[in-house]
Amino acid sequence: MLRMSFAGLAERWQLFVGATLSVCLGVALVQSSLLLLISAATLDPPAGLSAAERLRFTDSAEASVALLGVVLGFSAFLAVFIISSTFAFTVAQRRRDLALLRLVGGARRHVRRLLLGEALLLGLVGTATGIPVGVAVMALQTRLLVGFGFVPEGFTGQWRGWILGASAGTGLGLALAGVLVAARRAAKVRPLDALRDPDAGRVMTAGRWLTGLFFAAGAATLIILAPLGGPGGGQAMATNVPMLAAIALTLLGPVLVPAAARLLPAAGVTGMLARANLRDEVRRSAATAAPLIVLIGIVFGQTGASASFAASAVAEQRRGIAADLVVETTGPGLPAVPGVASVSAETETLVQLTTGRGEEAETDIARALVVDPAGYARAHPGSGPLEALRGAVVAGGPGRDSFSRGDTVAVRFAGADHRLPVVAEVPTAMGGGADLLVPAGLIPAGELAGAPTRTFVTLAPGADAARVTAALSALGTVTGVEEWLHADAEARTSTNDDIMLIVLGLGGLYALIGVVNAVVIAAAARGREFAAARATGLTRGQVLRAALLESSAVTTIGIVLGALAAASTFAAVLATTSAVTGVATLDLPWTLMAAVAGTAFVITGLTSLLTSWSATRPAPVSLLGARE
Amino acid sequence: MTTTSSHTTTAVALRGVSRGYGRGATAVRAVDDVDVEFRRGTWTAVMGPSGSGKSTLLHLAAGLERADSGRVLLGDTDITAASDNELTALRRTRIGFVFQSFNLIGSLTAEQNVALPLRLANRRPGRARVRQALDEVGLGDRARHRPRELSGGQQQRVAIARAMVTAPEVLFADEPTGALDSTAARTVLDLLRAMADRGQSIVMVTHDPAAAARADGVLFLRDGRLVGHLAGASAREVADRLVDLER
Repeated sequence: MLRMSFAGLAERWQLFVGATLSVCLGVALVQSSLLLLISAATLDPPAGLSAAERLRFTDSAEASVALLGVVLGFSAFLAVFIISSTFAFTVAQRRRDLALLRLVGGARRHVRRLLLGEALLLGLVGTATGIPVGVAVMALQTRLLVGFGFVPEGFTGQWRGWILGASAGTGLGLALAGVLVAARRAAKVRPLDALRDPDAGRVMTAGRWLTGLFFAAGAATLIILAPLGGPGGGQAMATNVPMLAAIALTLLGPVLVPAAARLLPAAGVTGMLARANLRDEVRRSAATAAPLIVLIGIVFGQTGASASFAASAVAEQRRGIAADLVVETTGPGLPAVPGVASVSAETETLVQLTTGRGEEAETDIARALVVDPAGYARAHPGSGPLEALRGAVVAGGPGRDSFSRGDTVAVRFAGADHRLPVVAEVPTAMGGGADLLVPAGLIPAGELAGAPTRTFVTLAPGADAARVTAALSALGTVTGVEEWLHADAEARTSTNDDIMLIVLGLGGLYALIGVVNAVVIAAAARGREFAAARATGLTRGQVLRAALLESSAVTTIGIVLGALAAASTFAAVLATTSAVTGVATLDLPWTLMAAVAGTAFVITGLTSLLTSWSATRPAPVSLLGARE
Repeated sequence: MTTTSSHTTTAVALRGVSRGYGRGATAVRAVDDVDVEFRRGTWTAVMGPSGSGKSTLLHLAAGLERADSGRVLLGDTDITAASDNELTALRRTRIGFVFQSFNLIGSLTAEQNVALPLRLANRRPGRARVRQALDEVGLGDRARHRPRELSGGQQQRVAIARAMVTAPEVLFADEPTGALDSTAARTVLDLLRAMADRGQSIVMVTHDPAAAARADGVLFLRDGRLVGHLAGASAREVADRLVDLER
């Protein structure tokens, strides 16, 4: 069987290039992310740091571990997705050959073994190439992590011997996981199918309907639950909606794509031909649209959600601040300055926070904001009564997630644990923020020497803003509140965008492989069809035009369905922002979306032109005669 | 699948077999209550106008399709209700197929194609045995060629070698000359004739009177029913009978 698998792969290698690339990329990314993840997780803070600095160091190392974890999972998921769609598609296209194997006495297990053998070989090639590629990817990922400030300069991933085994396991695991469904499906091919026209059989099986609807229900559930999840949970749920919605639409593609094709205009003979092909070749058009739906759904959905949440957070913060100027200084406190009516000095530091007790205790690094309760309440209208916040107590900050008023938490600072009651809480905020509000004086001033302090300043009525600004400038950087809001929002979204770029860039790369792959596989089997069209009197140019038209139509449909998946995310975003901040917010990155859609058109168009150009190169008669 | 012990001279028998397609207004009875026996060691041709049900009859006899009613016997074995695995085993050992569209696996050489049924049966395909099968169809020197490097007639002969390598009880042929030019068709028919003369049971569907005339007997089918039988007839007699049927 393995020899047959090998012969099959050698014969149709171009159908498997995409899947092999996916395994290679998957192995490379998993290997590199795994090595970096372990290196980052075991990273020790350099000697001579203060307690707060050590916490800050650990915090960003932990963030890089989380990011690498996402990259690892995402690349494995996408690799399996592409491999399984490749195999599903080739099974449909090779139905005749598989039926033939059954006809000459092959049992179902032979067919299954044939496909598993192909996956095994493909996994081996992918692994063999993926391991060296992984070394290069690690250098690139390290540069990105250092560049974005997740890890300190000079950080390197350490090579470990066992990673070779892990990578081989990954490669073979990815390939085999990708082939499982297709192998089961292939085993159902009946011997008689070899004698009939190689009609691919029913595309929408009960199982496909069921899984499609299951994912759709999952997306709907997340949309309903997101507004109830608070800022943290709501954002997490909303950003996962596009994944589920895109998979659901992909699975239901064989129903949706031809239905959407009905809506396209058909002009002239090439237009008619293209539209008829789209509706007739359900499997091909659905398979080409699938990676596009995933790409567009995830890119539009996640960037849109992230931009909207950021915009919502900025708007919320603007409503929640009543001040004229912001002074940024280092260390606690600000001396009195004439002309100032009220100040709220807020010093941020990191502490170790333990919530829950006994078995349920959870320790994490938390952001604590040292505040003057009266000033804080004046500068942040709507934050509620904070009178109780004095002495050895804390209040829940806008970014808290695991405790509330009435709990007692353990906070570690200045080298000792302190059990402190939570006596008040401010509303949680879309944009997050400090987990804890700590009254001034609780944490010794020595601990806060290097900590950044933001002071919101409200001018006294009739005070000269310029003079006050000049006086404050001697103490630190002074900005107008409006300006500061902008700068703060930008700083916050820039980290977000960096992460988004890494994760989405990765998704985009896979989707691209998937799209090109689907177009190549589809065109490979179309030599005869093109030949028949030309024998009927179409010129080669007309055939190419029809193919191009068809691919643009599929791309349009893929983008529309992907946008639909994204739109379901936006519903969750609107509901969540409305529930958390009171104002439903949607802010979409139109330029990026247009660029991605445009690129998709260019790539599918070019691939389709190239493949159909090469498929129409032989004279039509030579293709019509031969059957094999 | 049950096997009775009674000795029989019948290679394949259909008893009261019917098979229909579609439902309601579009329902067709492709094969309608047919009783027929194909005798061991003979070559029988099945003829009839398009849509007369001759391919369905062949598929039913070979266990590729299931009868709606009636029984199908392969030798002593009742295969009417055989499971997929049992039918698979039959195809490996007791039945051979040849089709109009050669149906070779494009990625395998002629030799590998011929060895395939043996490999699937987990039998070591002896090199000599495969070569011999290819020699018998006159293609011993083409063993390493892939199907696309062979002419249509040669491909069909490889398909015959593949069907015969397991020494099947019955060879089923569906329009084996349908896609061939007259010279290649004659070579293939000569091969089948020689095999039948050595005692091979062959059931062949065709619409070519010249091909049917090479068989020992010809069955005529119309609208899913048996409507006649000729033995030792010439191509002209077969053609005349066919024309009568289409009237």
